[in-house]
Amino acid sequence: MDLSYTPQDQAFRQRVRAWLAENVPRQKLTTMEEKKAWHRKLYDAGFIGMGLPREYGGRDARPMEQAIVGEEMVRAKAPPPLNGLGIAIVIPTLIHHGTEQQKRRFIHKLLTAEELWCQLYSEPNAGSDLASLQCRADLVGDEFVINGQKIWNSGAHEADWGLLLARTDRNAPKHQGISCILVDMHTPGVEVRTLKQISGSEEFCEVFFTDVRVPRENLVGELNAGWQIAQTTLSYERGGNTLSRYARMLQQVTRLLDVCRVLQRNGRPAIEDPVVRQKLGQVYAEMEVLRYASLRILSRLERGLRPGPESSIAKLHYSELDKRVQELILDVLGPYGQQVGGIPDELALEPGVAYGETGSWMYAFLWSRAGTIYAGSSEIQKNIIGERVLGLPKEVRADRVAAQVASAASGDGAD
Amino acid sequence: MDFEFTEDQVMLRGLMREFLSEQCPVSHVRAMMDDPRGYDRDLYRRLVQLGVLPFPEEYGGGALGMIEQAIVLEEMGRIPYPGPYFSTVILAGSAIMASGDSRAQARYLPDICNGDLTMTLAFLEDGISWGPDGISLSMAREGENYRLDGVKRFVPFGQSVDVILVVARLGGERGAEGISLVAVPTDAPGLVIEPEVMMDLTSKTATLRFDGVHVPAENVVGSVGGGWPAVEIALRQAAVGASAEMLGAARKSLEMSVDYAKVRKQFGQYIGQFQAIKHKLAEMLELVENAHAAVYYAAWALDAGAPDAVLAASVAKSTVNVAARRVCGEAIQVHGGIGFTWEYDLHLYFKRAKHLEPLYGDTEYHRERVLQEALAGRVAGSV
Repeated sequence: MDLSYTPQDQAFRQRVRAWLAENVPRQKLTTMEEKKAWHRKLYDAGFIGMGLPREYGGRDARPMEQAIVGEEMVRAKAPPPLNGLGIAIVIPTLIHHGTEQQKRRFIHKLLTAEELWCQLYSEPNAGSDLASLQCRADLVGDEFVINGQKIWNSGAHEADWGLLLARTDRNAPKHQGISCILVDMHTPGVEVRTLKQISGSEEFCEVFFTDVRVPRENLVGELNAGWQIAQTTLSYERGGNTLSRYARMLQQVTRLLDVCRVLQRNGRPAIEDPVVRQKLGQVYAEMEVLRYASLRILSRLERGLRPGPESSIAKLHYSELDKRVQELILDVLGPYGQQVGGIPDELALEPGVAYGETGSWMYAFLWSRAGTIYAGSSEIQKNIIGERVLGLPKEVRADRVAAQVASAASGDGAD
Repeated sequence: MDFEFTEDQVMLRGLMREFLSEQCPVSHVRAMMDDPRGYDRDLYRRLVQLGVLPFPEEYGGGALGMIEQAIVLEEMGRIPYPGPYFSTVILAGSAIMASGDSRAQARYLPDICNGDLTMTLAFLEDGISWGPDGISLSMAREGENYRLDGVKRFVPFGQSVDVILVVARLGGERGAEGISLVAVPTDAPGLVIEPEVMMDLTSKTATLRFDGVHVPAENVVGSVGGGWPAVEIALRQAAVGASAEMLGAARKSLEMSVDYAKVRKQFGQYIGQFQAIKHKLAEMLELVENAHAAVYYAAWALDAGAPDAVLAASVAKSTVNVAARRVCGEAIQVHGGIGFTWEYDLHLYFKRAKHLEPLYGDTEYHRERVLQEALAGRVAGSV
């Protein structure tokens, strides 16, 4: 057990830090063109998809190097790259299950953000119970004909391509009739509407498919094997880079400590109020534990262990912690924590931020409510932890009972 | 960066688990609850002679670091081991080491290492304070001797160890100036020892009344009046050590609860199938794993002299205080009525964790310390 950074890691961090100091844009990026140019710069510097094998455009970077880049990006207040979900989910899916032609066609353009990607998984009636999805992809000749609706698709309004889970066999048990298909979002019949979230911003979308025709060659893996494919890659979305989440939290809490020196509570600076101090000490301690736990995960990844069901503990931890931290920040700041327009600069997380824009205490507070829902809600994570980490018996589920009743009724009597 | 135990550390854990499960079964723990001394001297000697001690090899110790000490203490928390290991090694031993007093080290450490000497640290007085201001037990020079007057409370195994290291004040009323460490044999005239009856019967404590107790000047450990830094170091190691012991109690309680949820049936199914229980157990595991990360990060930071070692120690104690309280408490809830019986072992862990919660700094004390360290910038650099 040795928790110090190696000299190589320290040198790498210095190089990343120096590069960012030189290259982080000074102006806020507004147009997609500017965002793509910044992304391309990061890619050329070797900071995008760096953990991927070289043959797919990565750098074979170690998990520690990826974590350092993530942490330093936050520290330098660098704008995030594009295609985050695509790099985390789509590329591993293609590498593990795609054809050679799919790999050649899609991976490079995704990495360089020449093409933007979204994920098309959830539906209005298939959230936590994703396998009950109803969006259909009927094989007609050499084409899939897609009909149905998807929802919570981050960035679908800007995406060129989508990774779709659709039902290809309506007679099979629900986990066995799903396929994974690559969809050109510019195909006729694809309609995208943005959804306005409680934060006031519009990142999530709904996507409607009406007789959308997709060539069969866009199928990933075997027909009807989509559920297994999604399972292997969903865990990449969980518990991945928690160190950069720590870095972001540290930035907020450090700013909070500064604000507490200025903000008056009961006639004295908030930082001198013993009740406020207790809360600040608590939040700082909880944040440090997130760092320690992140280092522990990172050290396992460094040993070549893949993120298993334990990544659910990390996901549960950081998303629930974020809610506690944001609540506590608003406790300490009183009504200022909810103020966007007109908040004095010396009390703001970042000055000059509008409603619905990142950079206000309020915006961070509201977004903390999403973290315990997306990528598997806290309740789903607790099921995974209970059943796959602790080995508790599976719950009695109405759909399993129904499947057993159906199979018993059909006379095969299979268990 | 490697957060996993080394092979040696895994072996040490195995050694401790085997030794304690064989030599210290729960029947022994329960016997010691009724024993006025609270521990078995032979078992204690065998335990110490395993060599699982932080002291230098020249004194017969194993020169173990804090990570290894935490491993040993976590295993003790799983029993929970009744005896003065913590008071002798972590409290008194750490203070003697930190004092830098080589004469005192040569005098006490060899006997500690061979098991002939048990010790403790007398710190708390009538009030509850973990800083130097709480120390008012007076120490005055009289010829070749020092005279001690005052009261110490909640002294771990104060009724049954051989020598008590007393934190006393030589002049002044507040602050670190004047704080001294004085070794007092338990049979010293003028010392009245009153056993306390506490909730955790496996951890004996006593009130010590010093009424004109005279000890020779050579019994001062470290410099006269300059003893505070050593006390502070010992308290910090005790905070991390206690956290490790509480972690052991919590993990054991979780394991018992998971096992129970897999066999106990109600409403025609295993209670572990109900999300009400399954989710509770998942939350308990999250708390235990985070407590593990906090304890061993802090232990590493102390060993490595990391810039955030003080911060990490306080993060650990405040985190594990809350985690152990919840995990050991929810374990009783998962078990239902059986968990509330004297016969079932859960209360041993619940009480051990609660016993350690206010000691060496409670949650609020350590949160305040965390903030002080953060504001002073004594945090981990990212490089």
